[in-house]
Amino acid sequence: MTSGPLAREGERKIAWVAEWMPVLNTIRDQLRDGGAVAGRRIAVILPVEPKTAYLAACLAEAGAEVTVAFQGVMVHDDVAAGLAARGVDVFARRGSTRDEELEYFHQVLARRPEVVIDDRADVIRLAHTTHREVLETLVGASEETTSGVIALRAMEADGTLEVPCIAANNARCKYLFDNRYGSGQSAVNAVLDATNLLLAGRHVVVVGYGWVGKGIALRARGLGAQVTVCEVEPFAALEAYHDGFDVAPLVDACATAATVFTATGVRHSLGSEAIETLPDGALLANAGGIDDEFDVPALRAAADETRRVREHVEEFRRGDRSLFVVGEGVCVNLSAGEGHPAEIMDLTFSVQALSAAYLLQHAQELAPAVHALPPEIDERIARAKLAALGLQIDALTAEQEAFLHAWEAFA
Amino acid sequence: MPVTDAAARSRIADPGLADVGERRIAWVARNSPVLNRLARNRLADGTLRGKRIAVVVHLEAKTAYLATLLTEAGAEVVAAGSNPLSTQDAVCAALVRRGIEVHARHGATPDEFTADLLDVAETGPHIVIDDGAELTRRIVQHRPDLAAQLEGVTEETTTGVGRLRALEDAGLLTFPAIAANNARCKHMFDNPYGTGQTALTAILRLTNLSAAGKRFCIVGYGWVGQGLARRAQGYGGRVTVVELDPVQALRAHMDGYRVAPIAHAVEDADFVVTATGKIAAVTAEVFPRLKDGVILANAGHHDREIDVAALGAGVEVRPRVVRYNVDEKKVYVLVDGSLVNIAGGDGNPVDIMDLSFSVQALAAHRLASGGVPVGLNAFPDELDREIARTKLSTLGIELDDESEAQRRFAEEWST
Repeated sequence: MTSGPLAREGERKIAWVAEWMPVLNTIRDQLRDGGAVAGRRIAVILPVEPKTAYLAACLAEAGAEVTVAFQGVMVHDDVAAGLAARGVDVFARRGSTRDEELEYFHQVLARRPEVVIDDRADVIRLAHTTHREVLETLVGASEETTSGVIALRAMEADGTLEVPCIAANNARCKYLFDNRYGSGQSAVNAVLDATNLLLAGRHVVVVGYGWVGKGIALRARGLGAQVTVCEVEPFAALEAYHDGFDVAPLVDACATAATVFTATGVRHSLGSEAIETLPDGALLANAGGIDDEFDVPALRAAADETRRVREHVEEFRRGDRSLFVVGEGVCVNLSAGEGHPAEIMDLTFSVQALSAAYLLQHAQELAPAVHALPPEIDERIARAKLAALGLQIDALTAEQEAFLHAWEAFA
Repeated sequence: MPVTDAAARSRIADPGLADVGERRIAWVARNSPVLNRLARNRLADGTLRGKRIAVVVHLEAKTAYLATLLTEAGAEVVAAGSNPLSTQDAVCAALVRRGIEVHARHGATPDEFTADLLDVAETGPHIVIDDGAELTRRIVQHRPDLAAQLEGVTEETTTGVGRLRALEDAGLLTFPAIAANNARCKHMFDNPYGTGQTALTAILRLTNLSAAGKRFCIVGYGWVGQGLARRAQGYGGRVTVVELDPVQALRAHMDGYRVAPIAHAVEDADFVVTATGKIAAVTAEVFPRLKDGVILANAGHHDREIDVAALGAGVEVRPRVVRYNVDEKKVYVLVDGSLVNIAGGDGNPVDIMDLSFSVQALAAHRLASGGVPVGLNAFPDELDREIARTKLSTLGIELDDESEAQRRFAEEWST
């Protein structure tokens, strides 16, 4: 599938995002010139869309041997073809089954990657269970998502984690922008595109007020919605209140909800009790890191009738009430859209590229645990982005610097 | 499938697309409570029976649903698009299958577009629901004989109302016309909220770019421009407004936006969006001032607000995104400078068009009832209020009545 119109369309999409990822372009050149990843095997397990493809292509151009795999509706076949045409091994097909997905991961692990750039810790878990032989050559992994970092921490806590992992998600250049501004814009946008409905005046319920939930609430309000936030964590709930949003228990909020976004990273966050209270016509979309934040199979089982009413919208009718699921209940900005904006992923994937390079150079010095990306690398990316935007900032004066390091506050 | 008369007379791209179009219309039907409740009831009195109504509005699912309701009410509807790039062939196919005559194809040339409109004129409509006065001005210009039998025209857009006014000034508006655009239930919602939301989402989807922190230059601060500015800000953008009218410019200033002449406003703009309803808003004089990598899009009426021809030859780098080179800089134009939310998206939101087309349906009904004076007329205020009340009631929102004291205060001139 490396030639023909599909690959050409994919290549065109990759070339477009490349123009908007100046920091990653610079890092690619630096990695290539410094030889940090030359000849090293890197597996990239991320949704196959143009930005991810460009990360993989940059690592390959810097000299790494790159394999890419992903599953399901988050795969853009044209981009997969375009990436393959750039000489990267790609295992992915839109609409692939769980079994096919496992086969793709198996193929990737058979290449014995030294570093895995993982999503939701899927492949790292396989490396620690069914594919333990991989651990002989695996030096480390870099994790993209909040959900994946939680899983890796759990592995570390029970002593099963055998390689150092970098929580790329927890780099400031990642979560402060990708989760909030990236998901905020693209999840809201995807639902509006998919439904052709107005947001102004609409009652939007945001389940979960982490970085993704914050971004969605902010953008929904920016488009005129009335937003209610549901949380289980008291600090996040207080934060939502002080950000000016209504805060309510899920079951109460859902009773008048026109659109519900889940962004919790927790399975079945929107339970059947809350779903029961939703009014006719409500839209459900998931923007979180877990596919089943609400239970689509249960909705299907309970429905008298289901049908596709628009390309990315499915109706679940029971009696005289219909609910509409946008983007199959998986991450809506990828299933019903093109994922995060390119400039945001410039930051995220600069984190990933440098995280992979750091692991290749320093993994032997790191314990088998979850590590932060070194803050100086994080800061280097932020400064590069500011420079690319033509923005200048101030620096502390010597006097200010001295003040910060003095302990005699009243001296 | 039997070939109906309507099908035989229609000129569309592909009747085989009807199922896809049908699905789109069904979604609109579900989300149009005001049309379903108020307009359908009002139209059922038989006034429209046997009336030939030409619907010349962007031919996508919302317009198709309006055409369907008019047909249900007994009218003989003939439909054409108001812009070849906004015509959806699947929706045309569904309309033809519903027995409605359609003359429209996506991407028709200007000559084909004019031929389609003249074919619609040829059917001798009693009433025209027009967009940009595209059909009305052609009837006046090419078929004055048909103008004589027109019972009325109702116009959808700011630009079209301007054209009808120009016709009236020239003494050529010899039939009744209603400025549907000027109804409060139309321009206060459709233009700012509808176009504001959908133009922004279309721009972001077509480019897959981020809005947060970006500079948006909004050219024109009418109802559409105000909506664009607000939504751009809502997406985290920083807004500069360009306006010729000093009062509107002052308003933009007090709304908190930077206001500047276009030559300055574009210098740091990442996105330039036009909404002037006129032509030549962004021209060759401005091009050298544009920032490298700027995205140009139009949300106004005309596809001539951005002088795309003056940019020379371009390369399509993504679907509907064309790159031009100006000096050493890259300039990207979305959907050839035509309406970005319609040609690059699915048009205004369904629930907004529910209001706009309720205005149109009731305007057509009023024209068919007779008694509307020759010339340009306002949409009746009592109908406007009725539409708003119906919309509020579908939302479950209740209103207070004016109290006796409030009513007396309003009536007294000496207090």
